[in-house]
Amino acid sequence: MAIVIRRLKESDEVENFDCADDALDNYLKRHAWSNQAKSSIGVSYVAVDEGAPRTVLGYFTLAMAGVPRDAFPKKFVRGLPSYDLPLILLARLAVDRRFAGRGLGHALISEGLRISLRVADEVGCRCVITDAYRDRVAWYARYGFVPIEGGVETAPQRMFLDMRTIRAAFRS
Amino acid sequence: MALKIRKKRIEAPAASRPRKAKFQADLAPAEDRTVRSLKEELQLASNSDFLSDAVALFRWAVSERKLGHRIISESASGERQVLLFPRLERVAPDSSLPRVEIKWTERQLESLAKLASAEDANHPTDALIRAMRE
Repeated sequence: MAIVIRRLKESDEVENFDCADDALDNYLKRHAWSNQAKSSIGVSYVAVDEGAPRTVLGYFTLAMAGVPRDAFPKKFVRGLPSYDLPLILLARLAVDRRFAGRGLGHALISEGLRISLRVADEVGCRCVITDAYRDRVAWYARYGFVPIEGGVETAPQRMFLDMRTIRAAFRS
Repeated sequence: MALKIRKKRIEAPAASRPRKAKFQADLAPAEDRTVRSLKEELQLASNSDFLSDAVALFRWAVSERKLGHRIISESASGERQVLLFPRLERVAPDSSLPRVEIKWTERQLESLAKLASAEDANHPTDALIRAMRE
């Protein structure tokens, strides 16, 4: 298998994508293309095999987001810049379960973080945020994501990865 | 062919019985053949019975998608296919919409502020270093 990761195309075959999670499957089938091509609010990248280059085996979605400075509690803004906090949201990451265990997740998150670093270098961005399913927190932690405390216990765990940490990894 | 469903008019006080609706549809010849074929296969005697069963099946499908359930066919060998019907997808829950507008709790904002304002960032993990080198 020779895996290629590239931007989602309209002609990509997504109908049979099955990562065993409805929300992630439906996002790819129903929203990913229109959010990328029409709304321009998020870009999805897909992993495909060179031998079947239209069949999506896994994907992730990146979007820009931010937190207004005045949303932060006042006593915690001291170390922050005097502007809104720009961040990249790793909004989706999923692998078709028929291709699980082959390193696709690692390949996808690697590409996602490399893209994030390029974006940060071009336009400035402070961190990458993701909402991880509770059973995937340890997997994200392997890449240096740390939990953001204070969320609802039954909801996905919001996690933070400092852009400086990503940059240090790139340079090391 | 026009698919016509007529109900016998039964004399009864109007107030005690709900009014039955009449349904009429113009079908293309191919659709007409499909309806006839299905009625034969399912041994349905009337268009009313056909419509009643079709509505029951459609109502079930809508209720399943509303709950976020997928409708899957599985072959004898275990090969599965997911039903994707655009009109049904309209009733599926919108929980899969992107969260570009991120909601934060007060405590999450505190935590984020501490992490983002830290003087030194964490050292990269081995997995992150591998990821960035590949």
